[in-house]
Amino acid sequence: MKKYLIIIFVSAFFISCEDNLDRIPVDSLVAETAYQNLEDLDQGLNGVYTGLNLNNTIEFNSIFTDNCKIGTNNGGQALNLLNQILNTQTNSAGIWNNRYQVANRANRILAASEIISYDVNDQSQVNQFENIIGQAYALRAFSHFEILTYYGEDLLDPTSLGIVYQTEVNQEGQPLRLTMGESIQAILDDLDLAESLVSNNQTNKSLVTQDFITFVRARLALYTGDYPEAQARATDIINNYTLANQTQYQAMFSGTDRTEVIFAYEARQGFNRNIANLWIFTGTGGNFVGMSNELFDELAAAGDVRFAVNFNPDSDLGAGEIGINKYPGSGGQFINDFKVMRASEAYLIRAEAYARQNELILAADDVQAVKNARSGSSAPSAAYTSANEALRAILSERRLELCFEGHRYIDIKRYRLDLNEGLERDPRDCEGNIPCNIPVNDRRWTFPIPQGELNANTNIQQNPEWL
Amino acid sequence: MRTKFSGILTLLLAFVVQVTFAQTQTVTGSVTDGDGLPIPGVNIIVKGTSTGTQSDFDGNYSIEASSEQTLVFKYIGYKTKEVKVGNQSTINVSLKVDTEELEAVTVTAYRGILKDSDVSSAISTVKSKSIEQVPIASVDQVLQGNVAGANIRVTSGQPGAAAQTIIRGRTSLSGNTQPLYVIDGVPVSEDNFRSLNANDIADISVLKDGAGAAAYGSRGAAGVILITTKRGKRNSGLKIQYRSLLGSSENPSSNVEMMNSRQLLTFQKNLLPGAQFGDGLSDAEIDALSTQNNTNWADILFRKGRTESHELVLQQGGENLSSYTSLQYFEQEGTTLRSKLQRFSFRNNLEGGNDKFSYGTNINLNYSKSNFVVDATRGGNTGGDLDNPFITPFVSLPYLNPYNPDGSLNKFGTFRSGAYLDQAQTQINYDGVAGFQNTPFIALNTAEFNTDVENELRIVGGGNLNYKFNDNWSIGGTLGLDYIQFQNLAIDAPESIRGFSRFATQPEILDDFNGGTQFENFFRDFSFNTNARISYNNLFDEKHKVYADVLTEYYYSNIQNGGFQAFGLNPKLPGSGSGFTDGAAFFDPDPENPTIDDRTYPFIPNAFSSEIEEALLSYFTTFGYSYDNKYGVDFTVRRDGSSRFNEDYRWGTFFSASGRWNIDREAFMDDVDFVSSLKLRASYGEAGNRSIGAGFYAGFQTLSGTPGYRNDLQISAASLADEQVQWETTKQTNIGVDFGLFDNKLTGAVDVYQKDTEDLFFARALSAAATGFTSTSTNVGDMRNSGVELQVSYDLFRQSSTSDWGVNIFFNGAYNENEVLNIENEAGFVEGGSSARIQEGRRAFTYFMQRWAGVDPANGQPLYLDAEGNLTTEYDRAANGVYVDKQFDPVFQGGFGTSVSWKNFSLDALFSYQYDTWKVNSTYALTEDASLAGLLNVNTSMLDSWQEPGDVTSMPGLQYGGLRGQAGDRYLEDASFLRLRNLTIAYNVDSEILEKTKVFSGARVYVQGTNLLTWTEWRGFDPEIGELGEFFNYPTPRVYSVGLDLTF
Repeated sequence: MKKYLIIIFVSAFFISCEDNLDRIPVDSLVAETAYQNLEDLDQGLNGVYTGLNLNNTIEFNSIFTDNCKIGTNNGGQALNLLNQILNTQTNSAGIWNNRYQVANRANRILAASEIISYDVNDQSQVNQFENIIGQAYALRAFSHFEILTYYGEDLLDPTSLGIVYQTEVNQEGQPLRLTMGESIQAILDDLDLAESLVSNNQTNKSLVTQDFITFVRARLALYTGDYPEAQARATDIINNYTLANQTQYQAMFSGTDRTEVIFAYEARQGFNRNIANLWIFTGTGGNFVGMSNELFDELAAAGDVRFAVNFNPDSDLGAGEIGINKYPGSGGQFINDFKVMRASEAYLIRAEAYARQNELILAADDVQAVKNARSGSSAPSAAYTSANEALRAILSERRLELCFEGHRYIDIKRYRLDLNEGLERDPRDCEGNIPCNIPVNDRRWTFPIPQGELNANTNIQQNPEWL
Repeated sequence: MRTKFSGILTLLLAFVVQVTFAQTQTVTGSVTDGDGLPIPGVNIIVKGTSTGTQSDFDGNYSIEASSEQTLVFKYIGYKTKEVKVGNQSTINVSLKVDTEELEAVTVTAYRGILKDSDVSSAISTVKSKSIEQVPIASVDQVLQGNVAGANIRVTSGQPGAAAQTIIRGRTSLSGNTQPLYVIDGVPVSEDNFRSLNANDIADISVLKDGAGAAAYGSRGAAGVILITTKRGKRNSGLKIQYRSLLGSSENPSSNVEMMNSRQLLTFQKNLLPGAQFGDGLSDAEIDALSTQNNTNWADILFRKGRTESHELVLQQGGENLSSYTSLQYFEQEGTTLRSKLQRFSFRNNLEGGNDKFSYGTNINLNYSKSNFVVDATRGGNTGGDLDNPFITPFVSLPYLNPYNPDGSLNKFGTFRSGAYLDQAQTQINYDGVAGFQNTPFIALNTAEFNTDVENELRIVGGGNLNYKFNDNWSIGGTLGLDYIQFQNLAIDAPESIRGFSRFATQPEILDDFNGGTQFENFFRDFSFNTNARISYNNLFDEKHKVYADVLTEYYYSNIQNGGFQAFGLNPKLPGSGSGFTDGAAFFDPDPENPTIDDRTYPFIPNAFSSEIEEALLSYFTTFGYSYDNKYGVDFTVRRDGSSRFNEDYRWGTFFSASGRWNIDREAFMDDVDFVSSLKLRASYGEAGNRSIGAGFYAGFQTLSGTPGYRNDLQISAASLADEQVQWETTKQTNIGVDFGLFDNKLTGAVDVYQKDTEDLFFARALSAAATGFTSTSTNVGDMRNSGVELQVSYDLFRQSSTSDWGVNIFFNGAYNENEVLNIENEAGFVEGGSSARIQEGRRAFTYFMQRWAGVDPANGQPLYLDAEGNLTTEYDRAANGVYVDKQFDPVFQGGFGTSVSWKNFSLDALFSYQYDTWKVNSTYALTEDASLAGLLNVNTSMLDSWQEPGDVTSMPGLQYGGLRGQAGDRYLEDASFLRLRNLTIAYNVDSEILEKTKVFSGARVYVQGTNLLTWTEWRGFDPEIGELGEFFNYPTPRVYSVGLDLTF
């Protein structure tokens, strides 16, 4: 008996089930085996879209600028932005980190595209494959373009500091910045690839289409001083889209109208960026950031549909409350697409391109086209007497048309040297110890390379103003 | 009896052995104990012969012996003494108490119970006396102040809340810093102990050094707490014990003076810029209003919570079997509405077997029900939640009336508090009802209508077998399991403010549908731990003792979590799925306008489910050698493989070596009478921490597969994994001395240690431009804790048959110095929350802040110092901040107290203290926020705000608005405290009286106060609650209780 006991015991002792130590995650995928086929690759592409968080550009461009003021129910929210704090530690990292993460996700599926299996003799599979990686290239280009817009040293000087262009999946690295010219070329190269790959049949405006690529080309050309190109690409867009009428315009922001939309970042119940949450407590109501008095006055003076779209009529104006209502949603859930690219912007891109080429009449016509669509009238164009007058009018129109859509800071940044004007808040909008202006030559017109990057990457060159 | 027997024996010897020597003489003398009292019945033998006698009743003796001979004095319980006769005719001896025989024992890792003198590692023991019948429902909390070197911090005043325990300084920055808890050999989850009955505990051993930790390998780095529960005694009759406790708990004082109605309204009217409620009132109106209402909201929301405990213990032992059974019902109400714990616990410990084969089983079944409030630590709360009852005494407006006109408590709000749009209070203000001003009503409303209950079933059990082949060889094994299952039910009732204000921005929905949500969560954590052992031990030549154990151990854990959240509850069917609104239900704000598709589906339920598995396989050995009970060495080598890490990096080896020198047993100490025991210990050991804050699958680059953009499936990397990641390793050297002096009246231990944690798991900064990620978490840093611990106890008087008084005083203290040695980061620091940083060369969580420098008397503007110490008005922490040389973790902490007995009365007091610990007082900061003073009540200190040039004050001008976000170190406060943790006065009913009852064999009644007094500079309820920062946390209550123990 004793002998058996010992045998059983000793064998139990040395049953070394080391296989028991292989425990695979139940709730997530493992990198080695995640990508097998086209469907996986498509899901990877959706991961790239999922990663894109455009709220940070909307947030910065509205709250940091003269489009916003402190809200009546502010309990400490968004004060850093209202106070126009921008330095290596504060407010500078969001766009950098997010857009490079999107680039990384695109790079991951581009890498995966080389190992997945699909039938190369099946044209529909080839088309699907190309359409996927084409979108990845386009999103990589778009992300880098945004980084360039905010962090590039001088968009108009090809020899100034550009950005790091990320094209590979890396575990680590300390890359240098390209020049502005090289960076622009890298974006254009990706756009060329995307254009050759993205299907012409792709018409879903929530995804990258050929028009998306054209639109990025137009913006890029405008921002970097290639005005004929900006004019040409904007014209391509204008030829394909009509401007929304007043009803459509209202439905675009409160519902799902996409008449003049080229690309919208789609929100659905279950996947929603909740844009309104940038300014208001969407759970309980109440504004912690309000629309500025100055913008309110301008919208009121314009007297068109944009006033109703942007201003919340429930606001208690007497108590100083001016609610922003561009992304109202319904049912208390604030489900709103972000209309990233719209035809009206194409008109204003072309107007600016014309103005900068001294085609003042054409510029005025494009501005008027937008005004008329919003007011439902057919008033004649203004007659600008100088390029600067035209620019001033375009800037003002961009403010009315594109407020709370991520443009105001970049617009002032780009126009400030032409007009010799920085950012100036109305005195009513800087109550509560909020600063009133940012001078023309302030360093905050270019984002600093964020501290996190400086800490990890000793090679990267900081923008000269921030040294 | 013994005396009589020995006497007969002596007599026999005297008859049988006739001894005569030529030069014998008569030696007389007396035998006394250390206190000079005579010891009767001492055997006195002439060495090497059978001649002997006994001391008489007065300790005197007389014996014949020659000058060459040696007398041996022997008495049980005392050390044997030998004296050479020589030419002495009178030999008086004083016998010392034999500490070896009366010696305390210590429970050790894997080696069971050892005599204290055989222990070579640093272990603190807490006996049941310090743990029992304290009205604190979580046993880890009860340890506070009892263990040198264990920093035990209560995290919430919710009954049953777990404590944060850190032994000898934090050993991890992002991973688990809590020790491993082992109950009767079963490693258990340390997340909470609310279901366990602390009265079942016999003793607790806290393994503090590397030798103790290495035995637990990759689980031991943060120390190990071994809990041993009570067992029945063999050969004992049935003993029945009933114990009960009744108590009442209350909140401590808030230590903050808020404004009353008159002060606030006058302040709004006269001082605060902008238009507030007070500005619209005349002085007469203010007068009328503040006479009418001056509400102390704490009175409304707080209460005296009741504590009640009943326990029945049954113990019995036969020759081959003993049993311990306990049943307890414990109920404790928190100090605020709804907060409560109820539990029922059952334990049976059974032991059986004979000399060859023995076994034991423990089964512990517990069921508890916790009612939670919206406090700062529950779920994803921040403390700033407006239904947090602990925010109300600070921010609630005193001029609001808590009662309805009919005298009932108003649980909704008023027009004035923003709950209604009209004076007549007919139209709900959906914005305002959930707003700041309605704060106290929201808290009342949530407490009244909403539910957050957790029902927990916890089973801890196990068994062990031992078989002895012979005196040298044995085998054994244990199997243990820890099973935790809870169901959380959280309901925001449709009629509650939280329930309907989901639709605050579109209340039209409520015309057609119900509000409210119901969340249910089912969680199960099952783990088992099994090991098998072969043991050998032997004693050679009576002096060389060796032992060796070889063990293998397997641990497996499986965690399942699932649940749902449904929306739109039918108020007629509370808590039932029948009342949920169909997820397909939609709301169309303007159905007449179909061109705009603006339907929403606000009732789609959420469902979730997840699973985690973990396994750990270990082989290890402990072996040792000791010589003549004077010197001993012990070794442990353990090899662990963990499923948490990648296959190539999953195995690690941990070892320890420790030694002891029992100095008191050296010959040269024989004459040093005042030393009863003295032992020098030294140990070195390495242990790991596998809970490194990377989840359970650290070694995998995982990809998220949850639906993403457009709700379509997506695959993406949410974080960048380092697949070579491994456990954090802690290497500790410890040198200590255990001593017992003056007949062990003064006992204690001194330890010094150095503990280095290597391969700290931490974020390493990455270039986002290169990798797309800002960091990857991996083994990067090193940190050191070093310190000194002292634990002493002194018996001033010992109660005995001759002394009515017994007085003992004890003290323990620990000094721990923490230093971050390396964090592999260009900047040399990482932000650690609440403006604290982890900076190389400094203590972890040292605050980096811009220094506040008061108020400019010229204009009332806040002033700061820049990094160089010059005055500035600019607040910019990054540019102007400095290390203020203050940190969160206390540098000194410990406890002290006294135990006094007089006749049948006893008094026990325990104080605990922490010193040099700093926290950001965000609660206080909010009470001084001028930007909120229009909506909320504020601190009376705001009355001293700067008003005109020349005013010298510490409160800035109100025109500068809210300065909380730019406070710098203004609210960094010293959270050091000294607390009277527990005070008990008890009376044991005299045994003579008990004998007359013929029913009771023991009866004890006592009164007890817990957390009675706290001395601190902290401005708030409780200096102990809150980590780094404090923001409206649930304070530890003060509890008064009375108890009764009856033994039958």
